[in-house]
Amino acid sequence: MNDKTTTAARVGELLRERLGPALLELSQPQSDTVLARIDKQAVRAASTALVGELAARFLINAGIDRRETAGDFSVAQLFSLDRDHLFVVLDCAVDPAEAAIDSITAIVPGAGWAEREFRDAVGVEPRDHPDPRRLILPDDWPADQYPLRRDFRYDERPPAAQGLRPPEIEPPAGTSVISVGPFYPVLEEPAHWRLFVEGETVVGCDYRGFYNHRGIEKLGDSELTYNEIPYVAERICGICGFIHSTCYCQAVEEAAGIEVPRRARFLRTIMLEIERIHSHLLWLGIAGHILGFDTVLMQTWRIREPVMWLAEAISGNRKTYGMNTIGGVRRDIAPELEPRIREVLDTLEREVAAVRDAIAGDATLMARARGVGVLTADKARELCVVGPPARGSGLGIDARVDHPYAAYDEVPVQIAVEQEGDTWARVLVRVDEILEAIRLAREALAALPPGPVLAEVSEEIPPDRVGISVVEAPRGEAVHAVWTGGDHRPYRWRVRAPTYPNLQAVPAMIADNTIADVPITIGSLDPCFSCTERFEAVDLRTSEVRVYTQRDLIEMSQALTRGRKP
Amino acid sequence: MNGTLLTTLLGALASAAAALLLAPLFEGLLRKLKAFLHSRQGPPILQPYLDVAKLLGKEDLRTASGVGYAALPALALSSVLVLALYVPWGPDPALGFGGDVIAVLYVAAASAVMLMLTAFASGSPYASVGGSREMMMLLSVEPVLAVALITAAVKAGSLHVASIRDWQLENGPSISLAIAGIAFFLALQAQAGKLPFDVPEADQEIMGGPLIEQSGPRLALLRWAIWSKQLVLAVLLVELFLPWPRIELPLLAVPVVLVKAFLVLLAVGLIDVVNPRLRIDQAMGYFLRVAVSSLAGLAFAVIGM
Repeated sequence: MNDKTTTAARVGELLRERLGPALLELSQPQSDTVLARIDKQAVRAASTALVGELAARFLINAGIDRRETAGDFSVAQLFSLDRDHLFVVLDCAVDPAEAAIDSITAIVPGAGWAEREFRDAVGVEPRDHPDPRRLILPDDWPADQYPLRRDFRYDERPPAAQGLRPPEIEPPAGTSVISVGPFYPVLEEPAHWRLFVEGETVVGCDYRGFYNHRGIEKLGDSELTYNEIPYVAERICGICGFIHSTCYCQAVEEAAGIEVPRRARFLRTIMLEIERIHSHLLWLGIAGHILGFDTVLMQTWRIREPVMWLAEAISGNRKTYGMNTIGGVRRDIAPELEPRIREVLDTLEREVAAVRDAIAGDATLMARARGVGVLTADKARELCVVGPPARGSGLGIDARVDHPYAAYDEVPVQIAVEQEGDTWARVLVRVDEILEAIRLAREALAALPPGPVLAEVSEEIPPDRVGISVVEAPRGEAVHAVWTGGDHRPYRWRVRAPTYPNLQAVPAMIADNTIADVPITIGSLDPCFSCTERFEAVDLRTSEVRVYTQRDLIEMSQALTRGRKP
Repeated sequence: MNGTLLTTLLGALASAAAALLLAPLFEGLLRKLKAFLHSRQGPPILQPYLDVAKLLGKEDLRTASGVGYAALPALALSSVLVLALYVPWGPDPALGFGGDVIAVLYVAAASAVMLMLTAFASGSPYASVGGSREMMMLLSVEPVLAVALITAAVKAGSLHVASIRDWQLENGPSISLAIAGIAFFLALQAQAGKLPFDVPEADQEIMGGPLIEQSGPRLALLRWAIWSKQLVLAVLLVELFLPWPRIELPLLAVPVVLVKAFLVLLAVGLIDVVNPRLRIDQAMGYFLRVAVSSLAGLAFAVIGM
């Protein structure tokens, strides 16, 4: 607590010194958050001071349309001071008459995508951005419509246009283009890399993604209420759903000052670690498959299955548990289930140790993973990479340690760090993390305190608050930020999945590798495009809800096959 | 004279038929083995027959025109069948002659060349990457096969497959031929397109490489060629390097050879299951080292060991 206060004071001092009158207002809405309202002209100076002198790490930014309340746009740049457990928000007001702000990508390369995103979403231009192409919007989206502006309805659909292509980077002379995507067999989700290759060697690449963007954030601040969002947040990702619902709930709890019961915090920890275990085992299998090593795939997925059954026994579902809600969790772990959880964890520990020993000694595997897809510590820091890719490159960052949440302050985490930065290092980090997650789940279960699992939330959540929450997902740190509003819903809900910063490191990682190394290099990030793009499988063409039964769907497909319109 | 011609014809037919009809069975058994080690149930053993039958009944779609392109899969399969005629399946080869070791070398490369040509002609960037990998693999594996066969020829003092086998049966195992046999086995792993050497197909990287644009009957023939080739080369391996004991009775000799070939393929399958895929440069480096080491076998053969 004390170091937070002193660091917060230091941040204030530094900003006051560097910005002078450009620092309009400094406040500390929560003990771990410093909010600085600054003149937009000073955004570069402020970012330089934070990143350069306090080694702050850029998290994400959010473009907010405040025209109906404050009469302006806001661009909020979020930073984290990891060692000091502190978030810093730079809130820059942008006048709608001149909707532009200086780009900070030159100072923080990892902000590149996020700045393109607020341009696409609310129409604030990042000035002097090195790559001003569209990021999240499709190429046929009209130039003057911005989906995250408040006057844009969530179900509005601009007319589609045909035959438009994304502006592409010209391949360097003497190279040919090999496509990885838009649909690539081992990546399973759409993303399009155009590799520029000389023979088999990759010399550069171009990326176009966000084919799955469906505007979950928009739903959150226009249609859903605080208590409905956890279930949508959970569906951001098919693997780390509990992470997103926890992260969202924590952001709201933080903004509203809701105290979560201790038992609920332990239950969240247990579920988060169970999710990490099955996610890492899933990844290990896929990594094996990418290298043609299907034995690893089959065996890791076999030992993963009991974990899914365990999740089902606890929550009623293998995945997408529907357990989190604002103020705690909706399901408790029954005492009679505890021995079974311990038993599954014990068996799993044995089997994972066996897998680790088999993998660690495999010379061919090492030949394919060592020195492949190297991400240096400097590059990782520059691009704000998170999670196992960051820890594989020697950066000891982990949200569970840097910003302890749930019960991680009582069940401390030993983080695994490797220095080499190659695919092999990322494999080792994840295997260690499975064993650590088993230990954490077991300890949290043993220390599970009695008491209620859900706090009574009787008062309305006050407007104009901000809450920031980070959760260490298996893929890295997820960030949710909530600006509260009226109508029982956030004014703005910002989500950043871990793959979002990590994907931006791909060009640096695959340069000078061969084509054969590209799938495993991208795979070694454990990428999750749907989280990155905040995808949701809900048809919003009509506002009425229509439920298709299996029979309807079969009939529709049959009709399509026969060439009729359904 | 008529009698000899008839025997030759019948022998040739029988060899080709054996390669063609038994290859899917061996493939089915290998799939079962793989499934067992994966803790899976696996497809029925006869699934490869069903695969081929189904694919043969499909529409013939081609991504390139021309008679040459149309004929390539059939040529690939028939080149493997020709190889089968030079291989002893217990009894002497159907088409043996004085220098047939050289012919074996050429014919063994033919199906890979056909696959490569199919790849380059099919007009897909993945296929052309696969084709060039196929070429690089061929260039690195062929010397290993050549050194192994030449070692056997030097040792036995003959360029005739049947004579080499007979010499082996009479003189028993030797260091030089053991080395050559191991080299041949490693080459077989690559020729059969098994891990860690299935670089040209590399499903997860280039989506089947040469096969990506092939479907229906063309895919059936190419698959069939690959399966037949692994069987024929396994038979050649056991007959040249592990022919013992001598069995005179053809009706017994044939099944014994097939069982031995199956055991060899079982080892190939095991290696396939416990390895990830190498990169093309790693695979080439590996075979370069194998080729150099197998020269030791040739040296032993020259000094009579």
